[in-house]
Amino acid sequence: MMKLRDRIIAGERAAIAKAITLVESSREEDIIQSHELISELIKSPGHAIRVGFSGPPGVGKSTFIESFGSYIVNKNFKLGVLAIDPSSNFTGGSILGDKTRMSEISKNENTFIRSTPSRGSLGGIAVGTREAAIILDAAGYDYIFIETVGVGQSEITAANLVDIFTLIVGPGSGDELQGIKKGITEYADIFIVNKNDGDLASQASKTASDYKSALSFYNKDSDALETQVVLVSSIENKGMDEVLDSYNKIVNVNKANNQFDKRRENQLAYWLEEEVRNKILLKLRSEKETSELLEREVRRIIVGETGFYAASKVIIDRFLSKK
Amino acid sequence: MKKDKSKRLSDWEKKFSKEVKIETSKEFFHETDEGININPLYTQEDLLDYTFNDIQTLPGEWPYTRGPKASMYTNRPWTIRQYAGFSTAEESNKFYRKNLEAGQMGLSVAFDLPTHRGYDSDDELVMGDVGKAGVAIDSVEDMKILFDGIPLDKMSVSMTMNGAVLPVLAAFIVAGEEQGLDRKVLSGTIQNDILKEFMVRNTYIYPPEPSMRLVADIIAYTAKEMPKFNSISISGYHMQEAGANNVQELAFTLADGMEYVRAALSKGLAVDDFAPRLSFFFAIGTDFFMEIAKLRAARTLWAKIMQDFGATNEKSLTLRTHCQTSGVSLTEKDPYNNIVRTSYEALSAVLGGTQSLHTNSFDEAIALPTEFSSRIARNTQLILQNETGVTNTVDPLAGSYFVEKLTEDICSAAWKIIEEVEELGGMTKAVAAGMPKLSIEESATKKQAKIDSGKQVVVGVNKFKNPKEPKIDVLVIDNEKVREDQITKISTLKKDRDDKILKGHLNKITEAAKDNTGNLLALSIEAMRARGTVGEVSKALEDAFGRHYATNVGVSGVYGKFFEKDEKFMDIQNKINIFEKEKGRRPRVLIVKMGQDGHDRGAKIVATSFADLGFDIDMGPLFQSPKDVAKDAIENDVHAIGVSTLAAGHKTLVPELMKSLNAIDKNNKIVVFVGGVIPEQDYQFLYDNNISAIFGPGTSILDSAEKVIELISKK
Ligand code: B12
Ligand SMILES: Nc1nc2c(ncn2[C@@H]2O[C@H](COP(=O)(O)OP(=O)(O)OP(=O)(O)O)[C@@H](O)[C@H]2O)c(=O)[nH]1
Repeated sequence: MMKLRDRIIAGERAAIAKAITLVESSREEDIIQSHELISELIKSPGHAIRVGFSGPPGVGKSTFIESFGSYIVNKNFKLGVLAIDPSSNFTGGSILGDKTRMSEISKNENTFIRSTPSRGSLGGIAVGTREAAIILDAAGYDYIFIETVGVGQSEITAANLVDIFTLIVGPGSGDELQGIKKGITEYADIFIVNKNDGDLASQASKTASDYKSALSFYNKDSDALETQVVLVSSIENKGMDEVLDSYNKIVNVNKANNQFDKRRENQLAYWLEEEVRNKILLKLRSEKETSELLEREVRRIIVGETGFYAASKVIIDRFLSKK
Repeated sequence: MKKDKSKRLSDWEKKFSKEVKIETSKEFFHETDEGININPLYTQEDLLDYTFNDIQTLPGEWPYTRGPKASMYTNRPWTIRQYAGFSTAEESNKFYRKNLEAGQMGLSVAFDLPTHRGYDSDDELVMGDVGKAGVAIDSVEDMKILFDGIPLDKMSVSMTMNGAVLPVLAAFIVAGEEQGLDRKVLSGTIQNDILKEFMVRNTYIYPPEPSMRLVADIIAYTAKEMPKFNSISISGYHMQEAGANNVQELAFTLADGMEYVRAALSKGLAVDDFAPRLSFFFAIGTDFFMEIAKLRAARTLWAKIMQDFGATNEKSLTLRTHCQTSGVSLTEKDPYNNIVRTSYEALSAVLGGTQSLHTNSFDEAIALPTEFSSRIARNTQLILQNETGVTNTVDPLAGSYFVEKLTEDICSAAWKIIEEVEELGGMTKAVAAGMPKLSIEESATKKQAKIDSGKQVVVGVNKFKNPKEPKIDVLVIDNEKVREDQITKISTLKKDRDDKILKGHLNKITEAAKDNTGNLLALSIEAMRARGTVGEVSKALEDAFGRHYATNVGVSGVYGKFFEKDEKFMDIQNKINIFEKEKGRRPRVLIVKMGQDGHDRGAKIVATSFADLGFDIDMGPLFQSPKDVAKDAIENDVHAIGVSTLAAGHKTLVPELMKSLNAIDKNNKIVVFVGGVIPEQDYQFLYDNNISAIFGPGTSILDSAEKVIELISKK
């Protein structure tokens, strides 16, 4: 076990890969091992900045990561990419094609690129993504990009994984603008308007200014940084300087006003709660008595023998009284 | 006493129903891949007043359904034009000259993949590909050797070149010059059809928009300077080979044609100035009558399309085409059957009225043809021309109730797709949106499912197997030697030229490309004359345009649908579920294409089908190096790598991959297997390199999946 840890810290590619497999695994032994490993790795944290990317399908998340990733790597940073690929199929298999859009950065010695099928898991985040980021951090990567599946309910979970949460949008869809509710701005640190090129250029810059003015209504508390808006073209590699500048600014400002560490602490609390919630539910379901009770109560609610809250109370009480 | 027509029909109907034991013949039709229903009987009643096909017309008469010319083969038979090229210019030249002596009438050059993709033979990137799948041409010097002793003013030359079309066409023109010939007398065809490269053929270099400019520049230049040269060969052939059905092939090809016409018009040409020099290229598969009707439909629709563009010159209105029998219909198993298949296909092409024809060799699914197999392929046409009498009458199937109706059915089905494409804004836009590619891949996947499920019979493959497979001779190319020869030639060339002059020409190309000024073919001729290489001119253009990288979106669920409740399919799914329980994740397989081999049909079909079965499939991009693949495989911790290789690079690329894997992780347990065109002679070589399994053409995907899950479960 220690050996794997050492190999990861030494940055060995195959070891990192095996470790990620371990944290993604559904096998009991693997889960136990992965817990040990992660506990070890947390003790020797690196200095990675974790950046999350979310955005509707087809806005160019992968293409942006290819373009910006090349830019970052050319500046001699080490880049890890965790791509959650949405394309799961009705039989459970999937085709992970994201990497075909990241062929340049894939080749580079200073990158580590891993795709994972989302399997429709909640939050656009696959099992083990948080842990995979811990592994890459310990292995000495400077940036860790996490590409998540689309947008929707997923912001909270995805945003809770990263230091900078990026929302990528396309030129000129009014629908997306309506999506800017107060909620989203609390999670997104930066909006990237992609496809600022060719026929789409004028629409893209219009979209960017629309976002800017829309966002100005929702400023966060005064000393926090306002949400950034940057125009880019991933296919023409335009705007990458500005993106890096914005990222640096976000990191610097957040560090200066203690937001950076505070956010990580809050995230820890979030994941701890998640872990506890999941484990309790798992336990509840795995025990015969309570799992049967669960099923029975559902049926009783349906036929009107009991109410929703009463049923919930019965289940929780039974579960707790057993302990 | 004669019965009246309707009585006779209903009598036939009764007899028919009795014989086949069904209620009515209406229930009894065959649905083709195109979704066209073929009835058991056609009668005069089917010769209606059609929308497209006017059955009264004559050959050489609008809309040319019956042929572009009045006399057709009665005056001059079709041109036997065999597509060939291998290793060096010297070898190919020898081969051409021999064939011309043996009765072949036109030349057709097959270039190797580095040339196609604009790389010189000395480029590291293309180590495994030089001279393998065609002839390596790096400069004017090679081009001169290629046509040595072949008078370019008498022999029409067809060149399949699309990506690196500028330097290659330029080299051809300069080679003619140096034979003492004005370019005005050069006759032949350059393929120059870039849209289908993005769809199916994959030897593009630059992104779609600048690529369209190259096409337009060539049309503009040749319209003025080379009156006997066909500036483009609008090709559906590759679409059918990639899996398109006949209606898709026809519709996308004609829609491509419309797009090229618009591109040329945008250069300020008048339609009749260039349209007579547009030519076409179709595949002829095994569906005998469908193929005949397709060619008749193609001429009919093109006449209509060109009339709408305002063409008045008859040559602009008539579609002239080359055809090639289908390679994908030919099998590795029991290969002599292929001679028979090719003969039927050739007959189909001729009955459809093609202007020239290539017939494939029986070793098609194994390697490039040998001298023996090429001779049989050529003789198939010589026999057809000289012994069967098919040349004695024009369009002999006209008036056939069935063929006329089918011609109309294809016209209207294709027209529907053309309208869809136009709605998307034409083919460039449709291609950028991925519409044609995806629909062709869907069709290809269905085809595979039909064969694997036995719904479509392929003799010797899924039925009537030969228990004693014959051994056949295979052409072997010593790629190392070819590469060394080419490298020597390049370094001599570079020593003897004036670099400064060349640099000036190359800079002009880059500038003209950037500023959208000048004619890029004219400028490329200058550069090639100054002894630039194909790679250098391509690079000069790349500096302005960038390189194009395709993204892979595939179909999903298409294969699986054919196997609902199929026992074997469910059994494999079950094995995969057990694997997942035991190992904590699904079996994960990386499917890759390495080197310049752009045959992606097999890889994509296998990927989507494996995913339908429950595998997690990582799909690599085209043109990966073995080193990139190894990194990808290790990082994603895949259980297996499936290498799909069809262009004969396997003996270089596969060992290279194994080396790269071990370099990253010498303890890796990744199972590596290989699929595609691999001559049996090479099997042992691959096994010796730790390849666990080899899946050749005709493999049932279910069989290969079963083997793969078995192999990785053991590790
Ligand atoms: C279709 C085809 C094309 C199409 C390709 C369309 C596409 N997008 O794929 C077109 C017309 C564009 C084409 C072009 C060329 N082709 Co071609 N083409 C063929 C052909 C006729 C069939 C290949 C095919 O798709 N079969 C159907 C698929 C489903 O089968 P498959 O790929 O073999 O896959 C099956 C198995 O092999 C296996 N398998 C394959 N991969 C994998 C992977 C895994 C993981 C697994 C489990 C299994 C597996 O399972 C599959 C299902 O059964 C073959 C000859 C033949 N009959 O095989 C020539 C052939 C491959 N082509 C050839 C050549 C030379 C070319 C060109 C280079 C010609 C030229 N000089 O211009 C060009 C350039 C193409 C390029 N960019 O690389 C040669 C290669 C010569 C050699 N190996 O020595 C061949 C062998 C023909 C010949 N005898 O001359 N071609
Ligand atoms: N014009 C233009 N097109 C772009 C740009 N970035 C991406 N695209 C195109 O947009 C399409 C989608 O890009 P992807 O990178 O696959 O988008 P994605 O958000 O990762 O998509 P999913 O993986 O499906 O969620 C592709 O066809 C890209 O070529 C850009 O900057 N400009």
